[in-house]
Order: sequence, then structure tokens, then C-alpha cells
Amino acid sequence: MEMNTEEKYTTGKDTDMKVYVNDQEFELVPGMTVKHALIDAGLLDMIKQGKKVYDEMDNEIGLSGALTEGAKIYIR
Amino acid sequence: MKPFLKVILLLASATILMACAAQHEIRILHVNDFHGFATAYKPYGSESEQGGLAYLAQRVEELRSEKPTLLVAAGDMIQGNNWANLFQGKSSIEAMNSMKFDAVVVGNHEFDFGQAILKERIQEANFPFLGANVAGLSQLKSYVVKNLDGLSIAVIGVVTGDTPTTTHPKNVSGLQFSSPVDTVEKYVRELRAKNDIIVVLSHIGFSADMELAKKVEGIDVIVGGHSHTKVAKPAVVGKTHILQAFEHGKVLGVLDLTVKNGTIIQAHSRLEPISPGGKENREVGSIVAKYQKQVDSFMDVTVGESLVDLDGVNVRRQETNLGNLITDIMRKAAGADAAIINGGTIRTSIKKGKIKVSDVYAVVPFDNYIVAIKLTGRQIRETLEHGVSAIEAGEGRFPQISGIAFTFNRHAQAGSRVKEVFIGGRPIVADKEYTVATNDFLAAGGDGYKAFGNAVKSSKDYAVIGGAMKGDKLVYSNAGKWLRDVVIEFIKSRKEIYPRVEGRIREVK
Repeated sequence: MEMNTEEKYTTGKDTDMKVYVNDQEFELVPGMTVKHALIDAGLLDMIKQGKKVYDEMDNEIGLSGALTEGAKIYIR
Repeated sequence: MKPFLKVILLLASATILMACAAQHEIRILHVNDFHGFATAYKPYGSESEQGGLAYLAQRVEELRSEKPTLLVAAGDMIQGNNWANLFQGKSSIEAMNSMKFDAVVVGNHEFDFGQAILKERIQEANFPFLGANVAGLSQLKSYVVKNLDGLSIAVIGVVTGDTPTTTHPKNVSGLQFSSPVDTVEKYVRELRAKNDIIVVLSHIGFSADMELAKKVEGIDVIVGGHSHTKVAKPAVVGKTHILQAFEHGKVLGVLDLTVKNGTIIQAHSRLEPISPGGKENREVGSIVAKYQKQVDSFMDVTVGESLVDLDGVNVRRQETNLGNLITDIMRKAAGADAAIINGGTIRTSIKKGKIKVSDVYAVVPFDNYIVAIKLTGRQIRETLEHGVSAIEAGEGRFPQISGIAFTFNRHAQAGSRVKEVFIGGRPIVADKEYTVATNDFLAAGGDGYKAFGNAVKSSKDYAVIGGAMKGDKLVYSNAGKWLRDVVIEFIKSRKEIYPRVEGRIREVK
């Protein structure tokens, strides 16, 4: 069923998103990905050198992976 | 044989038969975040080629022949790589039809081509698109029930509620995204008693999947996507198995379940690496090749003509007409007062004459998208100071701008080089806010540009109203469309272009 309600979407969140790269805090625009966190941290070149990115549970994650508020990622 | 022994043997046989009859060996194969990477490629930092849809399809066929199988995808299948983008996802659907997918949840990037195109893709698909927490798009089903080896398997689909922040607002106009947790809870309550297995196809990210499993009882399996997580070690929360198969078809997720009397008594999951070599699925291989051929010829398509040489060589030391063209396009696309990019965004020049798609792709080759953020006049000045702070070294941070004009003295100390700054022809006001378009690279702090990131730190709540993103600082973000495609659309619309150097950036002593 098509909706007729007012076009309104509210996240209830601030427009910044705090993420942690190697336990250091960075703030990104919502919707940004692992790649952007590494750019902000100045660590993107480490991927070129063969390093990989992992989440808190030690799962490898892709550079285009979505991040959420408070996400902790590690590069090694 | 004595009669009572016969009875015992018969009873034992019947018990074994009943036990066997109630036990089912089934398989779930899964992928997520394919993003149209149909041909194998070398990921950034890797020396070896990975992925390849024809190889993945072949492996699906082999594994499917071994036991009753469901093939599912956890979203973001139709957008990303040129192989998908140039056909607005039609190529992905054709390949997925050939692979006989059973169900797919809509991902946030499925909305990137707009709702009309998404409806067309859903119409073309031989499998259901799920989206239980999306209201306003009737083509999406909340769930589907599949019968596998006599088992009733309910598959519920949910997508991230953050979808409106990751695509152009007009793409989700009129839609409402409700909480994945509340939605799944509602449908599990409705479906649990009537079905043997409950699978949630989720495009909300791995950590959100873990939370979902903690909050909602009764889910047997969550097949996830969105965070591009390579869940190599099986994750289990309570009785819920949580899976995710990395990205771009570089692995195939395999879950083998033994189900007895409606209960999973054994679960084994693994990720099988996919790479070129071995057998290709011929039918999928021919679909991949057919569209790839069109991608290759598309690069030769003429999109317009430039009446002047477009200078991409001097972008790291002075204003150029190519920098002006690209920033003008960005400013217009975002409806911003100004645009600032680093010269390093522009990689080469285009000669006067016909412009091909490949020329534009060479100029702006990166997967960058347009973002617009409100900056104060003071922050804009700081941004420009940063841009000219390493002009001696010819670094990529040198700015290319639109809507702004400024003077600078290269001989002054870095940090005090910028002199006069004008926006919209008027002197900049330090405390006034201006909307500045840039690319996601600079917005993330790339090339040392910190003002954009600092601005969003102080942001307040925002909303999408009437098709436009309204916010305190972040006013535009279109992650679903690459800058190079916006540039191509602009040149196509104008047919002829002749951007000039206009004195936007002037050196003074």
C-alpha cells in the first residue's frame, strides 16, 4: 500500500558518528564506511601494504563496510 | 525366530525409520553486499584476484546438488560496480535469476537508482525481495515461507533504518523505515509456531545482528549484510546462528543444518573462498560477459564536447578550468553556496574536442560522492589556509573551488597566507554559516582537511522533509552516486562545455 503520510524521516541521532580506530576516537558523517574511518585516522595506506581491518570480534571487515555509532575497528 | 524377538525387531526398525523420517539435512547458501562485482578483481592491497560470479554460481550449483538447499542474499546486490550501475542493477537481477535465488532482502543501496527503478528490478526478479520494516513500497514482501525437504522455513527480511542517510533523500521519499528489532519480534511471534525454522535475512550490520539475536527469541538463523563482515568463526547468541559472507562475492557462505522434530540439532557453517580457476557456470558466465562487453563499449561513448583544453595538470598549484568545472557541478548538485575539493581529486586533463566516458573516469577515477556541510566563514578561511599551506611541495591538498574567490600570498607563513575571501561575490563573514559541497574523502578528513569533520561534531538532530535532508550541519549526502557519474550527466545535459579560469584563486604579494 502506498503511503500518503508526510515525507518525514528522523533518525533521533546527531549527525556525527563516533568510531574508534585502534582505540582512538574519530568522528564521521553518518553513512560513512570503514574506508572513511581509515582516511580520518591517516591509516588507509596500511591497507596498500597488506594490512587488514578487523572488528571487535576479530572478524575481517571490508573497506566499504558500514559503521555504526561506537564501532571499534582495528588495523593489523 | 521367536515371535517376541520378531516384535522387538519390528519395533526397533519402526523407531529407526521414524527417527530418520523426522531428521532433515538441509543447507543454506548465502551472499551479501555483492555490489555488482561480477568479474574477479584484486582488492586494494591484495596481489591475487578474488571473486567472480560465474565461479560462485558454479559452486552454488555443486553444493545445491548435495542436499535440499536455499540460496539467499542479504542485500546491496544491484549497485556499486560499473557492471551493475550502468544497467541500474538489471545485470545483477539477470544473473541472480539464472542462479535461482530463493529470497533477497533489500539493502540500503538497492534504493540508489530511485523507487521506480527498484520496482522494475523487483518485477524482473524471479525471487521475492523482502523488506518487512519498509512501509510505502508494496512490491517488498515482509517474509516468504519456503518448503525444504518437508520443513517449513520462514524467511523474514529487514534493512537498516539508516537507509535515508545513505542515499539521496528523493530515493526514499514517502517511505518509512521502522525498527528492525520491533519488526522481527512482531513477525517471529506470528510465524514461530507455524514454521520449523525461522531465518532473518538482515541488512543491518553484524553488531546489530548480535543485538537482534539478544533481544528477540525464536530466531534460528540470521543471514546478515551491510557491515561487509567476514564471519569465519560461527557466531551463536542463545540458539541463534549469525552469519555473514564478507563482500563482492569473494566468499560463499554455507550453513549445513540437521533438523529433528523442528529443532536444529547440528549446525556447521563455513565460508568458501571464490576465485578464478576451476569451473565456471556457463550460463552465468555468459551473462557476466554480455554486460561486461557493454561496460567496455560504454567507456568509448561520447558524452559531449569541450571547446577548450581541460587542465588537470596544474590543479595542485593554481586555479584551473577543470577544477572550476567539477566544483561548479558539485555546488549545483548539492544546492550549496560553495564547493571545495582538493586538487588531488582531479587526476588528469582532457584535450579539447569530444569527451568520452573513459576521459571523465580518468579525471575522477575514485569512488567518491558529494557531501555538503555547513561551515562558518571562519572555517572556510581555515580550510583555504590548509589548502595553500603546502603549495611549495605541489601537494594534492591545493584547493579547487566554486562560489568562492580568494587571494593568497605564498611567501607568507603557512596558516597566514589567505588574504581576501569572497563568497557569492561578497566578503566572507566569519560567523556566518555557508553551505559547502565537497567529496566524502575531504569530509572524512582526507588530505588533512579537518574543518568538515569539526563542523559535523557540533551537529544536532536532522530530518528528511519534503525530499530534502534538513540538518544542523550536514545538509547533503548522496553516497549512492559517484562524482564521476554526476559529471557525466552534467556534460551530457550541456553537450558543449567551455569552462574558464576566472580569477577565483589569485596570488598576491
